[in-house]
Amino acid sequence: MTRVYVVGTGMTTFGPQPDVEVHELARRAVWEAIASSGVAPAEFKQRPSVAFAGHAYQGPCFAQKSLMKIGLQGIPMFNVENACASGSSAVIGAAAMVRSGEAEIAIALGAEKLTRPGGGFLPIVAGDLESAMGRVMPAAFAMQAQLHMQRYGTTREQMALVAVKNRRNGALNPRCHFKEEVTAEQVLSSPSIAQPLTRLSCCPVSDGAAAVILASESAVRALGLTPRVELVATALVSGERTPYGIVDDKSEMSVRAAKIAYERAGLGPADVDLCELHDPFTIAEIIHYEDLGFCRPGEGGAYIEKGLSAIGGGGVAVSPSGGLMSKGHPLGATGVAQVAEMFWQLLGEAGSRQVPRARVGLTHTVGGGVTKLEAGASAVMILKAV
Amino acid sequence: MSETASEIARVPIRPDLFVEESAGPPRLVGSRCRVTGQVFFPAEVMNPVTMTEGTLERHEFDGAGKLVAWTVIARGLPGFDSPYALGTIALDAGPGFIGQLHDWQDKTLRPGMPVRLAIGRIKSEKDGTEVVGPKFVPVEAQA
Repeated sequence: MTRVYVVGTGMTTFGPQPDVEVHELARRAVWEAIASSGVAPAEFKQRPSVAFAGHAYQGPCFAQKSLMKIGLQGIPMFNVENACASGSSAVIGAAAMVRSGEAEIAIALGAEKLTRPGGGFLPIVAGDLESAMGRVMPAAFAMQAQLHMQRYGTTREQMALVAVKNRRNGALNPRCHFKEEVTAEQVLSSPSIAQPLTRLSCCPVSDGAAAVILASESAVRALGLTPRVELVATALVSGERTPYGIVDDKSEMSVRAAKIAYERAGLGPADVDLCELHDPFTIAEIIHYEDLGFCRPGEGGAYIEKGLSAIGGGGVAVSPSGGLMSKGHPLGATGVAQVAEMFWQLLGEAGSRQVPRARVGLTHTVGGGVTKLEAGASAVMILKAV
Repeated sequence: MSETASEIARVPIRPDLFVEESAGPPRLVGSRCRVTGQVFFPAEVMNPVTMTEGTLERHEFDGAGKLVAWTVIARGLPGFDSPYALGTIALDAGPGFIGQLHDWQDKTLRPGMPVRLAIGRIKSEKDGTEVVGPKFVPVEAQA
């Protein structure tokens, strides 16, 4: 099995894109990724290659429709849906094909257009009973928050600090949907969505696309590329059957995915310098600090309060990109954009939001609300500067 | 139903979740494994825990349970009441369920609070049709 390198990334600005068709968003991200990789576009036709596209609501043959715009067709293409983890699943699928030797170079892309006039909640999972009965995502996370508060004494103020940090990071990232900082007071006093979560405790609904180019050791050599970022481990798991679905004070499947990824990488949480974490709601970030091993169960509130997850805060710098909270959450694009951010960070090219001494990064997504399952999928990837 | 009985049509959100009869309280309809005794709600087509087919039978039960967690959604999706409350329920029969609370507004909700089943409006269609389903009424301790 070969090593897998990330050799290029691209990402559109996230946010409302009413005038750009979704396959065109994808094309722009792919074209930027190919250009940044230094791989000639024709190489994807001439070498064993593969493309994976992640999205949740954008219709059939998404990869084909997007890639034919750049003249790329005829190669194996997979269209992947895993709700919010669709994009991560696309990267993991593409990486598996490269690692196995079936493809030398791969394109993993993700895209979504979700904004519509008036805003509102994400579309519910078709045919899902609890969703049809009103279990919207903010409500599920609100009940997670309640359980975490009850069990560990986590506070509304600590949760608000997650939004403050991620909006502060996002203000340094021109590709974010939200580019303004917020204060804890603003987060706490913004209108209630699902108690105790307020509007500024939730990520925005956004449009956008992202893409990454992966290459094997032999492709890197043959194409004369300099390997700079290695995708050292990936783990994709699905949710177990649980009595209350996602309503818990932990994410068991995130714990499981992280454990697999750490084992495969031969690394542990203490080795991680930065993390792009799935933070659709403030409480999720606090819980996932614990799931990913950055602190012990129950200590997530203190972790944010002490500033450990800030850029240069002394712990794992979490979501230097601004996270879903600032960037937005175009489902299919989300996980791919996390890898893009990690690539820029590990290269030291993240500008004013650069994490100092970024050598090992972890990306994490969770996707899908399904009655009786914790959720659909959790994906963890570990990347290393070469 | 006679033409004059009601102006508002009332339809269940799903036909297989509950039974309502004029005499007696409503009941949930799930399934029960003849081998392990485990109760599932909503009903399963086979036992997904033991991965066995052919051991489940229809099982009606009263839908009583305890409140595990809850939240109030300020503005619901189109057709939903605003605000409405949602609860995570540990049903006494075994399964968990996340559903809307009913008659909750003036009560002090607390973890472990008993709830009982009621059939009520989940949402309204554009034409006014009421979509009904299982909801859970928090039961305050007798003074």
